This record gives sequence, C-alpha cells and structure tokens, in this order.
Amino acid sequence: MAQIVVLGAGVSGHTAALHLKRLIGGKHTVTVVSPNSQWNWIPSNIWVGVGEMEKKDVIFPLAPVYKRKGIDFRQAKGVAIRPYGDADSPQGAVDIEYTDPAKAGATERLRYDYLINATGPKLRFEATPGLGPDGHTVSVCTADHAVEAAHKLDGVIAKLKAGTPQTLVIGTGHGTCTCEGAAFEYVFNVDHELRQAGVRDLARVVYLTNEAALGDFGVDGMVFDQQGFQTTSELWTGSLFRERGVEAILGTHVFQIDEGVIHYESLDGSKNTLNFDFAMLIPPFGGHPFTAYDRQGAEITADLFAPSGFMKVDADYTAKPYEEWKAEDWPSTYLVPGFDNIFAVGIAFAPPHQISKPRKTPNGTVIAPSPPRTGMPSGVMGKAAALTIAARLKHGAATPAHTASMAKMGAACVASAGTGLTKGSAAAMTMLPVVPDYSRFPTGRDSRETQGELGLHGHWVKLMLHYLFIYKAKALPGWQLIPE
Amino acid sequence: MSETPLASVDLSRSPMPTTKTLNYRKNLFLQFFRFVAFDLRIMRMVLKGHR
Repeated sequence: MAQIVVLGAGVSGHTAALHLKRLIGGKHTVTVVSPNSQWNWIPSNIWVGVGEMEKKDVIFPLAPVYKRKGIDFRQAKGVAIRPYGDADSPQGAVDIEYTDPAKAGATERLRYDYLINATGPKLRFEATPGLGPDGHTVSVCTADHAVEAAHKLDGVIAKLKAGTPQTLVIGTGHGTCTCEGAAFEYVFNVDHELRQAGVRDLARVVYLTNEAALGDFGVDGMVFDQQGFQTTSELWTGSLFRERGVEAILGTHVFQIDEGVIHYESLDGSKNTLNFDFAMLIPPFGGHPFTAYDRQGAEITADLFAPSGFMKVDADYTAKPYEEWKAEDWPSTYLVPGFDNIFAVGIAFAPPHQISKPRKTPNGTVIAPSPPRTGMPSGVMGKAAALTIAARLKHGAATPAHTASMAKMGAACVASAGTGLTKGSAAAMTMLPVVPDYSRFPTGRDSRETQGELGLHGHWVKLMLHYLFIYKAKALPGWQLIPE
Repeated sequence: MSETPLASVDLSRSPMPTTKTLNYRKNLFLQFFRFVAFDLRIMRMVLKGHR
C-alpha cells in the first residue's frame, strides 16, 4: 500500500486529493496536510469584502469531507521535506507541525511514496512596511481579511453619507505582486457599492497597480477579435475605468505605507505619495517556508526551492531576456527535478519567469507583475499530478507523466464588477493558452478562444461558478463531472 | 516627493460605451443568451485546452 501525502488543501491540493482517492484510494492511503481547518472559495472573498456575502458563504470545514471520502486529514503545516529519507529509512518524509488546537505545536514525521506540494502562497505583507491588516491597509486574500475589509468599507460609506469626501485606493502593495485581477474586481465592486449607497459623487476611487498597462492582469494583456477588428484588453478595460470614473495609476511599486499615506515609486523613477482613507492592497506572494534535508541531515533547500520559496519543477529556469522567453520554458509535469515522486502544483511551483514584461525604474527597482497560477490552472495541475500518481501505481513507476502546461491550457477569468442578480456585472474573459505562445499564434493566443465581454451575464457566470466549485469541493455526488 | 499622483492614466481616449451598449449589458433577455454562449465557450476551451 502506497502512502500519498498532499501538502495544502486549496484548489490544487484539494482537487488532487479528491481525484487520488477516487482513482486509487481503495488500495492506497491519501493524507492531506493543511494548516487551515476550512476550505475557502477565494474568488468570492471579493463579495465578502464589500458585505454582499458572509464569511460562512465562502468557507466550509474540511474534516467532514475528508472523513466521508476516507482521506486522512492532518490540520498541520509542513515544515521540512526529507526527499532521501532519514537515518531510520530511505523512504521520503515530511515533518509537520500541528495547528489543530487539540495538538497545537506537536510534530510528526510522515513517510510518503508520492508527495504533492500544493501549499499555496505565503502572504508577504512584511515586504512593504505598513502593508496589510496589521498595518494600515486591508486585504481580501482570506475570508477573515475580507470581513475586516467590509467592516472598514462600511465606515467609509458612513462618512460619505455624512458628507465627508473620502479617497479609496485599491490595487497592489508591491512591485512584484500577482492577482491584479482580484484588485480589479474589488475596485469595481467598491465602486458599485458606493453607487448603490448613493455616495459615489463624494468618493475618489483610485486603482494603483504594478501593471504597466490597464488590462495586463499579469498575463501581458490579451488581444481580442471583436467585430472584425483586433482590440486589446487595455482598450477594453480602459473603457470600463472611464465609464465608472475610476482613476488608474500604473507601473507602481509601493514601498511604504503610513497612516493614511501610500508611498510609491513609478516606472519613471519618481517617488510619490497618495493620501487615502481606505486602502485594499494585495500583498506579494512567496512560497511556503520549507527546509529540505538530505539523508544525513544536511540542508538542501536551495536544491529544491527557488529563493522566492517556490518549488523548482520541470521548467527551464535558465536566466534569459524577455525577448527569448518561450512557451516551452513552462513546466508540464510539475515533477521536481531529480525526483519522480515529488510534485509542486498551483502557486507552489516556481514559474520560470514572468508572463508580463518585467521592468526596472531608473533607480533599479523591479516592477514586474508575477504570473498568476490560481483558479482553473491550479485545479488542472492538481488533477494532472493525481492522474500521474494513479497511473504509476497501477502500471508501474515508468509510466509517462500526465501533462498540464500553462502554455497549452486555457483559463476563464470572470472579474466581478458589481453584484446583484439584475444589477450586477462582470468582465468575463477566456484565454487560451494562459502563457502566450507566439510560435503558434501571431497574437500569442488562440483568437477564437481568447475573448472578453462585459455584462450582467458575467455576474451570473461568476455566481454559478461560486456554487459549482463549492459543490465540487464538498465532493457531493457527481463532483468529478464538474471540470477544473 | 509630490503630494498627488503624477501619472494617472489619461482615459479621455478610451471608448465610452453608448447607451445602446449599456442597455444591452443589462437586458435580461439578451444577457441570458450571452450567459449560455459564454458557458459553452468555457466548455469548449476546457475540452480543447485541458486535454
């Protein structure tokens, strides 16, 4: 009987665990290790952050689902990986530290035959002094953060109703952030809420981002075919900003936040300040902090992990200029080099480079949106790792790995621009592939599948995805029929 | 340091949607068909790109 350990229970890890149990769970053990007791449908945190949903609507407890499916669940965080085993055994192992209140702080060493690292992001608020809920800004990265954001937004709306003008700043809190789409969604949901409250006229709403162009979204923007013309996501999103009266400041690296003041550097090297009454700024992400050891106990962390903390996989990490980046640089099997039994999927894998063009200010400050690898691609990677493990356990370790390159798969991105079954709207986009491949497509992507449209139907799609993916994550009957 | 943002994007040349477009985006009947079309597009992309 093989032991399969999945580190992380987000979209990628949870998907991998459920598929593994479905495929080979009768004969083998699947163990999930997650420091969180709840599963969170993060895309809907946006709606919690404006008070349109409650925390309970976007989370559910993991333990009952895993108990029902026969998956071993440890509420703990991984702290060390021992891919060569230890003095007692050559079998690979991970050291975990319990976060379960009943065993808090206790440690255990779990042996594995296959390991999937799907630990998701470490929210690096500390990268910018004053950033985050412990500083002067709010976040929607977790359900609890979003609850706090909604509470503070209520306070701002109350002041606006009392006739006091307010400045609301939403965007990225560092030059290397990813998830610009979440900031984009939040800014338009806030705008929508202010309009619903009848106080939009007194509010200045600013989108402050590390993107060099509107509509970049960390994927170098998109080119759409629309009504016989090629148009860009830049033009398309610019139209929405103009229509809603949202200011945009592009190409920024926020380097400090004081009470009511954001300090940022622009691409031209100038250093500026922006006063605010309410700010939601996304933090930069890092990899989960693991230490890796060889069998003798010598540290080998740098062999397995990039300096950012993300795990190295089958990508081409050769440093090369933007002009020489290729779709083939991106990983396809998510196997860690040198190991045919360790995978890193979702945000946990180290991307070979950005997708958007990285830039530097004249002062040498890097302003480079990091590549998004959440949502649909995360789930597909998790499933691919599960399929590879299942195939190898059934047919032998030499069975070829399943592949799921971001340079071949597509993604749907539905960016809410306001809620309401009859008054909501969203920017609904699809792109194929996620990583542009200029050797296959003149615009980098399949123009038939890369499209964007705005409207009420986008809100319905996002709401449908909310219910569908929570249903799927709860592993209710037929869950596996819902695509990742 | 300057007190206010220096580099707000000039959106004056971004296209403003017409009243007809805004109404189209809110029309329940027409948006239902866009909803169905977008769902079909996602499924086509899933079948094409997730193999």
